[in-house]
Amino acid sequence: MIGAGIKRGTAELAVLSVLEDGPLHGYELARRIEQQTKGALRFTLAALYPMLYRMEQRRWIRGAWETSDNGRRRRCYRLTPAGKKKLSPLRQEWSELFQALRRLKKVAHA
Amino acid sequence: MRDWDELVRRQLLDLGLETDERNEVISEIAAHLEENYEELRRQGMTEEEAARHTLSQVEDWQKLSRLIQVARKKENGMTNRVRQFWLPSLLTFFLSMGLLMLIQLFGPKPWSVVIKNGWSLIANAAMIYLPWLFSLPLIGAMGAYLSNRAGGSKRAMFSSTVFPVVPYLALFLLALPVTAVVDARLGPHIMLLALFVNILAWVVAPAAALLTGGVLVQHLLSRRLEPGRIAGS
Repeated sequence: MIGAGIKRGTAELAVLSVLEDGPLHGYELARRIEQQTKGALRFTLAALYPMLYRMEQRRWIRGAWETSDNGRRRRCYRLTPAGKKKLSPLRQEWSELFQALRRLKKVAHA
Repeated sequence: MRDWDELVRRQLLDLGLETDERNEVISEIAAHLEENYEELRRQGMTEEEAARHTLSQVEDWQKLSRLIQVARKKENGMTNRVRQFWLPSLLTFFLSMGLLMLIQLFGPKPWSVVIKNGWSLIANAAMIYLPWLFSLPLIGAMGAYLSNRAGGSKRAMFSSTVFPVVPYLALFLLALPVTAVVDARLGPHIMLLALFVNILAWVVAPAAALLTGGVLVQHLLSRRLEPGRIAGS
């Protein structure tokens, strides 16, 4: 199980990465991340929305109300150009961090 | 059929956002809960189990309200600090000082604390204004409420609650070394004793009175927002 500190750092990357495939509403976004990470990253409502709103304030994502086929209104989030721009260096940073950790013998054998 | 919108609205009563923005957040969170609940029902959970499981996603609604508020605010951290700490602090300070002045001018005579040093010295060490002390819980409660409403943490709430005694504390701490030196030269040690009596009368007792109000407000707000209290709705 991944610890809380690392999760916090990876959460934004996870949200941006998943939204890269297309717009999603909060519940579906959380479910998609949980499925794709096989349960390693799991967002509760209390963790998800403050983060989404923060990312929206930074203009990385944009939320808009949409009505689904069954008539339900959901606020869907999509990646903005600023978010797309952010995604690439963020991936790079995490990739470098993982590579650095792998170079540490003790971590690599953990 | 559960009214998730109403449930979230009641839980996020203290969410300090503009009405439209607030309604938007409430609708979004209600939709999330509803979707989660229905998914659990589809998986075979009973209504009660599904509702309990859905609501367990939010352990502390008060904290969620604060986090959302901070995340959606367009102002910077400084403005939040002003709203959450400085404004409630200054309000409690000016209210308590104003009330003290009024009581000193028009209120009953204060209770004097007299200290003695053997038979040789008697000093009027401190004046205690009981009506003022009794009114402080109300002022402390107001400070705590305002801080909480602005999304302040428990630390900000309690700091703004006890803020009126901070100047007194600073004054007495500054006076402490001077008093100790003078007392040591004069001998009877009555000044140091008087200083401690004053710290009790002007710092410890008012702080306790202010905190009583602050703790009460905190307790009431956290009780109002306990998930269990509305889970059955």
